[in-house]
Amino acid sequence: MGFMINRRTALGASLALAAFPTARAGRAADNKRIIVGTWGGDYSKLLAKNIETPILTPKGWECVHAAENAPPRKTKMLAEKALRRGTTDVQGLSANDMYEVNEQGLVEQLDYSKMANAKYLLAPMKYPYGIGHIYSGKVILYNPKLIQSAPTSFADTLDPKHGDKLGIIDIQYQYTMLAAGLASGGTMSNFDPGKERLIACKKAGARIYPSNEAFAQALKTEEIALGIMWKARAVQWQNAGINVQTVAAKEGVPMYVSGFVMPKNAPNKEGAYAWLDAMMAASAQEGFAVDMGYNPTVTNAQVPTDVQKRIGFNDEEKKRLVDLDYGYMAKNDTAFQDWWNKTFKG
Amino acid sequence: MNRGRDLSATALLGPATLFVAVSLFAPLAILLRYSLNGFVAETKTMVEAVTLANYTKFFTDPYYTSALVTTVEVATLVTVACLVLGFPLAYVVARTQSRFKHLLIIAIVLPLFVGNAVRAAGWMVVFGNKGFVNAGLIGLGLITRPFEIMFTEKAVIIGIIAVNLPFMVLSLQSVIEGIDRAVEEAAFSLGAPPATMFRRVLWPLALPGILAGTILTFILAMNAYATPYLLGGPLFKMMAPVIYNEFTQKANWPFGGAIAFILMSVTLGLTLIANLVIQRRVVR
Repeated sequence: MGFMINRRTALGASLALAAFPTARAGRAADNKRIIVGTWGGDYSKLLAKNIETPILTPKGWECVHAAENAPPRKTKMLAEKALRRGTTDVQGLSANDMYEVNEQGLVEQLDYSKMANAKYLLAPMKYPYGIGHIYSGKVILYNPKLIQSAPTSFADTLDPKHGDKLGIIDIQYQYTMLAAGLASGGTMSNFDPGKERLIACKKAGARIYPSNEAFAQALKTEEIALGIMWKARAVQWQNAGINVQTVAAKEGVPMYVSGFVMPKNAPNKEGAYAWLDAMMAASAQEGFAVDMGYNPTVTNAQVPTDVQKRIGFNDEEKKRLVDLDYGYMAKNDTAFQDWWNKTFKG
Repeated sequence: MNRGRDLSATALLGPATLFVAVSLFAPLAILLRYSLNGFVAETKTMVEAVTLANYTKFFTDPYYTSALVTTVEVATLVTVACLVLGFPLAYVVARTQSRFKHLLIIAIVLPLFVGNAVRAAGWMVVFGNKGFVNAGLIGLGLITRPFEIMFTEKAVIIGIIAVNLPFMVLSLQSVIEGIDRAVEEAAFSLGAPPATMFRRVLWPLALPGILAGTILTFILAMNAYATPYLLGGPLFKMMAPVIYNEFTQKANWPFGGAIAFILMSVTLGLTLIANLVIQRRVVR
């Protein structure tokens, strides 16, 4: 028996194909599904544990995670720019990435009146285009067993005298250049003075690691003795048994803010607002502080005193917290990467 | 009747052809167009243009040309190593009369059951400063300071050889199996020593398999991403990670597209040259 395509079969197949996207779109609009673009691993698990399962699921929302690192997610947002309906409702990004995607015209300007918990949000975490979810600061990490006198500044840390005991994280190029800049007389808006210092460190044998996790592993095996990283990560690593202490550098504590934006073409904007509101709930913020070591971004979160002591900054250190010049960093990011890849690593 | 046969052929060929056309050629065409666009670094946005600037930039910047040279060097070295290591293994597997032959073949294919990234993670445990190799050597008192293997070219080459070797062995084994054992015995009976038999009989007859294996291995090595990224570390650069970086870290699609086309062209060009050279030898 030969296989024949008759007119009726072809017509039926065409109609079925034509109806497919409409049916999908209809389903997406009717359901209460929120698609969350986020980093994978602990972060993704903790979003579910502290925000979605206790707050959103009981209200009938279904949260689905599109977990990837930030660069591919930003690339996807850019690729979907022309689409009427994107594929995510909220996206988790660092403050500089949030600034960058806003500059690219990819994200919605938020209506804070739609979120009841917004009144508790710390003023610096309230961006027109996104909301700070957690924050920490870039501090010095050192192993007290290997470093006898604790470093007090970025200048002490990013110093060629440490040779191959200094670890640098490749993906932290912006903050490393910022810290080296501050150590060498630069400012939040001028990292250039630190370039020579970084090259001298590399010539002296500083080790460069591809990821935060590889850096942690090197601290654990004592391949390196010091470096710079978020205080929150140091707390996580201390919890994991790594012998590491933190110091808030004299030059300042550059802030790291991680937050969420809503893509302009989010398919479920009502769901996105519900998700962002739940993210600011005191209980969710307290959970993140305890589980992940980051500071809450709302005023009504009650963090246990012992946790606050480890993750937070004292009054003296708080005075040294400095926010980044996101405009400068976004405008020069390509130039930073070129210098980092070609001159520093090259 | 003929019309029916035509329609059947169309129905059989159509879906695969359509799939390849849509999923391969359409993105390639879009990427080619993007590679001729401009890019504003300050805002990380692509601007409409028709320019060869991205291609010029690649060939005038030593950072990128050195990545290409490293990629070709590593791919060539890996291909030669796979051929040298794979030929004896393929020969043994092809000629064995053992009833466990199928187990041998499964053993060769077994590493492919594990993804590249997972395999690279395993190598990381082996190569680290306190990894299996260094801990073993230090424990035996053979060295006092660990060897630097992790995040070096050595680690990448070992890693890619491990990934590509099964492809080479399988390509060679299927061709060697098709070579009649009698021709080897004829060479021996005419007084040829094993090396001469290999050079004059086995090697020329196995050339189609060698060609298939080297092309497959070379293309895979040229486009390797996970292994150089995970084992090479931040200071080692091959083309695929460089392309990924342009697309995702810098959002520079035009330049990323241009590098992707350059990599594809160089891979295809070198493959074609190898094909022509080997086929000419086969004809001779």
